Amino acid sequence: MDVTFIILSLITVVGAIWAVTLRNLIHGVLSLVLFFFGVAGFFFYLNADFVGWVQILVYVGAVAILAIFAIMLTHNLTAKDEPGFFSLRWLTGMAIAAAVGAVLWFAIKNNAAMLQTAPAGVTSSVADIGRKMMTDWVVPFEVVSLLLTAAMIGAIVIAMEQISHRK
Amino acid sequence: MTTLAHFQLLASMLFAVGLFGAVTRRNAIVVLLSIEIMFNAANLSLVAFWRYGPHPEQLSGVVFAIFGITIAAAEAAVGLALVIVIYRYYKSIEVDKMRSLKG
Repeated sequence: MDVTFIILSLITVVGAIWAVTLRNLIHGVLSLVLFFFGVAGFFFYLNADFVGWVQILVYVGAVAILAIFAIMLTHNLTAKDEPGFFSLRWLTGMAIAAAVGAVLWFAIKNNAAMLQTAPAGVTSSVADIGRKMMTDWVVPFEVVSLLLTAAMIGAIVIAMEQISHRK
Repeated sequence: MTTLAHFQLLASMLFAVGLFGAVTRRNAIVVLLSIEIMFNAANLSLVAFWRYGPHPEQLSGVVFAIFGITIAAAEAAVGLALVIVIYRYYKSIEVDKMRSLKG
């Protein structure tokens, strides 16, 4: 374990915990941005530069801004009526998360293949990724393009429907 | 030296944090963002497997992670549009108040 890994894991874990616990939603989204940057740092650390830049563009640039717009459009800056620490709801959620985490932890700890170190010279250039996407992965690529188009049109239709009802 | 287990343990911890947020919080926007945290944990796991795997020249983990990010973006756009419509209808985005389908 080196220093970069420790710093990046602190950023991501603290950002994720703040994002799910803070009452002020804007603060929650800002700590989520911290988490997204931490994950992007991990992608750079793992030599997946292109995924890191896509992560920053899509998550920090689009998803976080979209979430802030949704918060402002719903006039909901502070989460009201949230369950407090150590309420039954929190304890149930913690039990579920701890159970899932424990199963994953057990599976990882009991797998000898997990103890290998990183091989040297692993890179992912944008040209290689593009070539792979246009040859081996061309059908999933087209399906995902169609899905994204359908989702964009669907989002507009869903948000517009209510306006025509009001008139 | 950082091993594959470090990355997988971190990804499972982030997944558990996201799951906790998704089942605990009442605000629909926070539930959606918790789901984004789980998507990110899965992508981190995929890219770590690619980096440590036997055939990194195939780029499978990287391509999978890019597809995952695309689908997460589509999910966020549709989900937040639904949140806005639900707010117009119920005047609230608390998931506990959406119980019209309850028998």
